[in-house]
Amino acid sequence: MLKTVIPSVAVLLTSTAIATSAMAAGEYEGYTLRVKLIGGAQYEPLYTLIPQWEEETGATVEILSRKNHFELDREIKQDIASGTINWCVGSNHTSFAPQYGNIYVDLREHLTEDVLGGFVQLTLEHSTVNGRLVQLPRHSDVSNLYFQQSLYDDADNQAAFKAEYGYDLAPPDTWAQVKDQAIFFADPPNFFGTQYVGKDEAITGRFYEMLIAEGGALFDESWNPTFNSEAGARALQWFVDLYEANAVPAGVPNYLWDDTGLGFASGTVAMNLDWAGWASFFNDPENSKVAGNIGLVRAPMGSGGKRTGWSGSHSFSVTESCDNKEAAASFVAFLTSHDSQMVEARTGLLPTRSQVWTDAKAEFQANGNDFLVLVFDTYAASMAEDAFTPPLIPEWIEVSNVLWPNLQAAVVGEKSVQQALDDAAKDAREVMEDAGYL
Amino acid sequence: MKAKMDRRLGRWALRPQSIPFVLLLPAILVIVFVVLFPLIFSLYTSFTPYRLTRPESLWTFIGLRNYRRIFTDLDFWIAFGRTILFLAVVINLEFLFGLLIALLINRITWGQRVLRTVMMFPMMFSPILVGFQFKFIFNDNIGVLNNALQSLGLTDQAIAWLVDGWLAMGSIAFAEIWMSTSVFAILLLAGLFAMPREPIEAARVDGCNNWQVFRHITLPFIMPFAFIAMTIRSLDVARAYDIVDVMTGGGPAGRTELLWTLIARTGYDNARMGQANAMAYVSIILSIAFTYYFFTRLVAARRYMGGAA
Repeated sequence: MLKTVIPSVAVLLTSTAIATSAMAAGEYEGYTLRVKLIGGAQYEPLYTLIPQWEEETGATVEILSRKNHFELDREIKQDIASGTINWCVGSNHTSFAPQYGNIYVDLREHLTEDVLGGFVQLTLEHSTVNGRLVQLPRHSDVSNLYFQQSLYDDADNQAAFKAEYGYDLAPPDTWAQVKDQAIFFADPPNFFGTQYVGKDEAITGRFYEMLIAEGGALFDESWNPTFNSEAGARALQWFVDLYEANAVPAGVPNYLWDDTGLGFASGTVAMNLDWAGWASFFNDPENSKVAGNIGLVRAPMGSGGKRTGWSGSHSFSVTESCDNKEAAASFVAFLTSHDSQMVEARTGLLPTRSQVWTDAKAEFQANGNDFLVLVFDTYAASMAEDAFTPPLIPEWIEVSNVLWPNLQAAVVGEKSVQQALDDAAKDAREVMEDAGYL
Repeated sequence: MKAKMDRRLGRWALRPQSIPFVLLLPAILVIVFVVLFPLIFSLYTSFTPYRLTRPESLWTFIGLRNYRRIFTDLDFWIAFGRTILFLAVVINLEFLFGLLIALLINRITWGQRVLRTVMMFPMMFSPILVGFQFKFIFNDNIGVLNNALQSLGLTDQAIAWLVDGWLAMGSIAFAEIWMSTSVFAILLLAGLFAMPREPIEAARVDGCNNWQVFRHITLPFIMPFAFIAMTIRSLDVARAYDIVDVMTGGGPAGRTELLWTLIARTGYDNARMGQANAMAYVSIILSIAFTYYFFTRLVAARRYMGGAA
């Protein structure tokens, strides 16, 4: 596992040298690089480094947009429609990239293998669409299971759980165990066993990773929807069972990541599947009631023996219409360089450069921050072994939009599990037919 | 030849009967380019499979296919009906609350200016912020409302405000009303300020009680102001999007889906702008109907008050 995560120091040194050489002093003197970047609290610290690139190259960076990714996605689609892609660098995401056709360059033609060799290769694979590396991953996203440690250490809980379920109470390794334990810990409306994001692409993604973990698939090889299979029904039943048992808050069909994160930090939830970006927040006594009481394990397995690992990476792309692609490539290489990624890693964001995993962890160890060491170890393992993306096709978001209302309908009891999946499969088939796959 | 035509055009423009057209020409050109052209263009796209991410699809004509899809799409018509209901409830409640606030502020003799300013605060927030604010207030687990209700002993349940269909629509309506009631209050207050004192004094001399004065003099006088506010707000509410999108996203299971959450998802998230424009053109019927209704009532109200129709 660690072999894929930890590269040689030589690769790091080489990539640093290349990145530095790409920023030869004054190389782009007088040039103005127009960019559209994702905005938001956790994304901003990286942008404080931009003046450094400007100073090195003599170029000026003009930030045209700084919006959340959904708004940025709309703006980019409008630019494509109106033929006004008059900017060079845009924030991107592995789930969104396939929609944009060929507006972005293949970065393998503009960056050397020495630069690209420093990245975790799986993240580069996920960033590739139709054989073209259309984005350079900035940080990655995969979810693992946080839990309140004290609940598992409690002798009364251990005895009661063993008596009721017949096995020892321990941090769960399967989603079936998560269900048992969530129902066991739940004491609504004051305390809940777990929670899940329940709308938009968020629940589609959660269902998708459960489907994979149950041994199912969204589509067959000919792109026929197959998620209304037995595995799909098992995956969706898990969400329904927890909802019906009141083991999750009644509002979960409306929850997104901010709701689940704040819910766990409020101390009213036993287990929470979430990304690493929340780790520091959860362990900060000023923000969180569970600070100092957090355990973390890799995302559990489904009955198919596979762990959930819905993953994606935030990234940067360079447009085909850019009038100075080399400057743009230099800029994205700078923003994803070792030092830049260290800035984001310190906030808990998962780096895409192998060496940053090692160096960030070493820094946490040196500072005595055992919790972030645990976080990085756990997420390194899941990024290396469990991570998988949704199908990298332009229709992913559209398929998601026919899927999630039906998933919600099953959760809130408006449709049976099979009916919801069959309805969604029918609509998804129409989407795929319209797109020419079927 | 060209010089001859220029001379003819110049002579035509200088004729007295041409002058109104010449003077109106800049305004007509602005309207054509800013309003009419985009409207015709978007109408055209509704007859195409236009996708934002595939600009070439703009030139494929598919006739009424988008419209046929809409007319057989039950989800669209449920959203259409829900939008009408939402609009009717929100506009009426905003009118009632706005009227109440305007009448109360009109009675105040000290601090009225400060109160008028404070009253407008909710309007100053972005609808997205208002959406987030109420999303967390109505959160079933960590929301302020449920915690308050549980602390006061009024319930021992975590009420799922944003999950149950009626409660969720009620919560969204609450946020919408909180943000925009002051539109009604301000316009009705303007009406009350403009109201002459003589009819009220005459009515009191004739022995009318407070309710009769309000019902037969004050209310008819401020109704034209109310209908203007209703016209403005009906156009706003029919396009309600930001608050709904943030609070529920149209869910769960489509329980709070309104026209514009559906249209925006179709047009932007799914990038099917042709189909979204067809939906928008059908939904415009709603705005036209409400605007026509309120203008008819406005004209009737002004005629009742003896004003110009």
